[in-house]
Amino acid sequence: MKLNSEEVNAIALESRLLLTEEELSNAVRYINNFLDMLDRFKELNLENVEPFSFAETLECPLREDTVISFTNTQAIFDESEHVDGAFFKVPRIMEE
Amino acid sequence: MELYELNLSFLVEGLKAKKFSPLEVYESCKNRIEKCEKNIHALITRTEDFAKSQLNENNNGILAGVPTILKDNLCTKGIKTTAASKILGDWRPPYDATAWKDLREAGAVLMGKANMDEFAMGNTCGNSAYGATHNPNDISRVPGGSSGGSAAAVSAGYVPFSLGSDTGGSIRQPASFCGVYGLKPTYGMVSRYGLISYGSSLDQIGPFARTVRDLQLVMSVISQYDPMDSSCFRGKKFDFTHSEDVSVKGKKIALVKEFQDFKLDTPISDAMKKVQKILEDEGAIITEVSLPVVARYAVACYYALAMSEAHTNLERYDGIRLGYTVKDASGIKEMFERVRSYGFGSEVKSRIIAGTCLTEPSRCEEYYVAATKVRTLIAQEFTKAFEDVDFILQPVTPSLPQKIGENDDDEMKSYATDLYTLPVNLAGLPGLSFFTGYSGNLPVGLQLIGKRWSDPEILNTGIILERHLGTPKIANGGE
Amino acid sequence: MAELTFTPVIGIEIHIRLKSDTKIFCSCSTNPDSEPNTNICPVCMGLPGTLPRLNHKVVEQGMRAGLALNCGIRPKSLFFRKSYFYPDLPKGHQISQCDLPITTEGFIEVHDENGNLKKIRVHHLHLEEDVGSLHHSASDGRLEGAATSYVDYNRSGMPLAEIVSEPDVSSAKEAVEYVTTLRRRVIYSGASDVELEKGMMRFDANVSMKCSDGRWGRKVEVKNMNSFKALERAIEFEIKRQRKMMLNGEEVKQETRHWNDAKGVTTASRTKEFYRKFIVEPDLPPLHISQEEIDAVKAKMPEMPDVKANRYVNELNIPREVADVITDDKNLAAYFEECLKFDANPVRISHWVRTEVLRVLNETQKKISDFTITPENLAKLVSRVDEGKLSTTQGKEVFDYMFKNNSGIDEAIKNLGITEGGVAGNALNEIIQNILKENPDVLEEIKSGKDKKGKKLKFLQGLVMKETKGQAKPQEVAAAIEEAVK
Repeated sequence: MKLNSEEVNAIALESRLLLTEEELSNAVRYINNFLDMLDRFKELNLENVEPFSFAETLECPLREDTVISFTNTQAIFDESEHVDGAFFKVPRIMEE
Repeated sequence: MELYELNLSFLVEGLKAKKFSPLEVYESCKNRIEKCEKNIHALITRTEDFAKSQLNENNNGILAGVPTILKDNLCTKGIKTTAASKILGDWRPPYDATAWKDLREAGAVLMGKANMDEFAMGNTCGNSAYGATHNPNDISRVPGGSSGGSAAAVSAGYVPFSLGSDTGGSIRQPASFCGVYGLKPTYGMVSRYGLISYGSSLDQIGPFARTVRDLQLVMSVISQYDPMDSSCFRGKKFDFTHSEDVSVKGKKIALVKEFQDFKLDTPISDAMKKVQKILEDEGAIITEVSLPVVARYAVACYYALAMSEAHTNLERYDGIRLGYTVKDASGIKEMFERVRSYGFGSEVKSRIIAGTCLTEPSRCEEYYVAATKVRTLIAQEFTKAFEDVDFILQPVTPSLPQKIGENDDDEMKSYATDLYTLPVNLAGLPGLSFFTGYSGNLPVGLQLIGKRWSDPEILNTGIILERHLGTPKIANGGE
Repeated sequence: MAELTFTPVIGIEIHIRLKSDTKIFCSCSTNPDSEPNTNICPVCMGLPGTLPRLNHKVVEQGMRAGLALNCGIRPKSLFFRKSYFYPDLPKGHQISQCDLPITTEGFIEVHDENGNLKKIRVHHLHLEEDVGSLHHSASDGRLEGAATSYVDYNRSGMPLAEIVSEPDVSSAKEAVEYVTTLRRRVIYSGASDVELEKGMMRFDANVSMKCSDGRWGRKVEVKNMNSFKALERAIEFEIKRQRKMMLNGEEVKQETRHWNDAKGVTTASRTKEFYRKFIVEPDLPPLHISQEEIDAVKAKMPEMPDVKANRYVNELNIPREVADVITDDKNLAAYFEECLKFDANPVRISHWVRTEVLRVLNETQKKISDFTITPENLAKLVSRVDEGKLSTTQGKEVFDYMFKNNSGIDEAIKNLGITEGGVAGNALNEIIQNILKENPDVLEEIKSGKDKKGKKLKFLQGLVMKETKGQAKPQEVAAAIEEAVK
């Protein structure tokens, strides 16, 4: 086993996920099976291989610097339950 | 014959010739949905009222008055879009996905948003916060996934065509399971703007329809350059004009050598033989290509990349700006944890954890970076193969659709069944899932793959195959 | 026992807002004065399904800023996703070039403690997006302990350049010179206005200490400095703190500390440092920059301020202090150089610019771009004063008149009633005689020797100067009066 439940739980917390005991044991099994599957990469010599990118869209298109205002900001606000006046209100940030 | 039974091209012709009105078509499709939806559950949101309001817009576009359905990971302005996840709540996007905008401008009217596996993660359409979709050919079986709702809707005659998205087979596999045609276009051919991302470098929007000609019509509308998507190819305009005057004479069509040892359900291996015979009779040359890296590494490579990209795509769901949230958290971390733990389903959580794990500084080189390099080898292998051959013929899946609930407990085995579809996404190729006939009441589909940007040629070959294999009939939808 | 000595080893990370009309990945305005949450759209709010689109102007500005720091431009660079959860970061990751940046290494020169020039190497400059801004409701405005925070996403997606130095800085003073020179160069390049009061430049510093006994403390990252002064104080504080710890035999831990400007201390950060992992941004293909484009931007790069100042000193014999002051403002230096085209003495002009021009701008709170005296008029004025056609006093009067009335030099002289060349000789004596006639009692007092302190003499001088409208040379007036009263 590559990762124990404590390690998997720590990763889950990094992703802001709280797992139930059942979810955690399932995740431990899942992640270890998955990493086992990825072990076969080690059979390949990847030293001189470039990471993949699409040949035809190799170049990033560049946008002109012209302001186009989004007119329907109200539709964005309408979807949030945390709007307070002109702001988005969130609970306190520092904790521990 | 009812109007809902008309395939897209006939429907368009009939509307144009005023043989029937858009309202009549709308009513017919609406009744069909009403009748079957309780059995199939293909839709998360029904938008018939919106469709009706669209009928008043007097659009004269090529698809004027044609009902359609979109997978629920395509953003629709002002209309609930969920990606089949609780975390999006009742989110109404403030904008339209480009592919939908193109269809809408062409006159298509929206009848509903289709069920799917949550965030397109799954191949059964059973992994949805809104319940499972059933296969309209046999409601005890899965429709495939993740675009299962879109495939089922076309199969059951809700609408003549629909859109789905394909990250590792999510159009082709449900098309095959439901007995319709599905095209996964070349990566970069259809704008991804407004498609809720799963694996951004793998995702591609594509159509479902009941004839190849119908796919051509839809592609002619949605395959446009869009500056909103930087991965969209602006090189050329593609010609999807339908013609019956097509041929595969002298074309080389290959089977993958390494796949020959893998076990297939008999109806699928029979279909492979049948299709080879048809192609040979049409003058094509059946040959073989060797794809050893694809055969051994594609599944691992695909899942490593899909999860690495997916977990960053899902970081934005924090409950602040949209969707499900909690209002009584005492701190921001608690809020994020509660929103995400409740909002995401278990398969999504597993994949987020896996993606986070693979990209951690200590493992990034070994897994994520290695996968990006393996992907290069896979793409090179295909490029080389297509120097010698025109198309590759292969199954979509090794088996016919399983019973609902009969899922393999071992996810890795389930992932391995995607071997026939996901290499196409890794290399950004086009893939057509086409209907070959029935085994009992279950449809059997196969797949034709071409080099990048060969989508029009693949569909032309599909025209020939359809001529021999017949057009699928509308599924009974549990009635 | 020999006394222990400590050498600070300091690296500095700077974030600078690049100048563009729109954000880096969407077409929203970058206006910093907009109402909260008005410059937002689905892209910079990170809404599902949206995709980034790179702004060409930002790429150019990044190149300019990089070239200003003597960096090379990389023909191919990449964007990455830098993940962490925070309410001001809508996507949960920041799009940043951190791992394959637009520039290669560069350098900035500063003066070390002995006054010698020293290179501070720039590791690289990369492009990235800014995050939203947070406003806290704690009564004292602190982050910690605030019950609620308010998010404004106007800043989300604003274009930033992050500039990372090598740990070549050895003191707070060097750090300040490094950032000052760097800021001036970036402004000159046109990449940014770097308005400090608008938060367009933010600093983090990595501070560690090397002890003469061979011990080397771990690197401490100090964050949250928003001014030159804060940077200087934070580094000074940290050097003292670490020195004291090492003197006490304590071990300096690797950690992140926050600078508390109000208290003047750094405190250990309670938030866990975010988890740095990068994946390639799949929604943006690699950024390619052609040699032609690099050459085109290079060709338009102006002379850098420190290079310019050196040239003023070495070629025009302008004093160092004056050269530094003039080159501090790109537009002021441009004005000065424009003046030189009209044949005036560069040193004289530089003094006028340094003192008079800056004085009136300061008094009227104006910028050099609003300055009303044309370079030609200033050059003529300086030449005439130089040639003795106008006295210095007259020169200043003409200067003020031209500035206030937006007029040319000849018009100013005419309207002020000044006769060029001044009042002297017989004309001056005539005026003096008249003044003496009109003030017989004063003349009597002087003659009787009662004016021991020379007050009465000064009084007469003042009357004469007034009568000549300042066009007489004061020493000539004084001499002539003394002669007349003998």
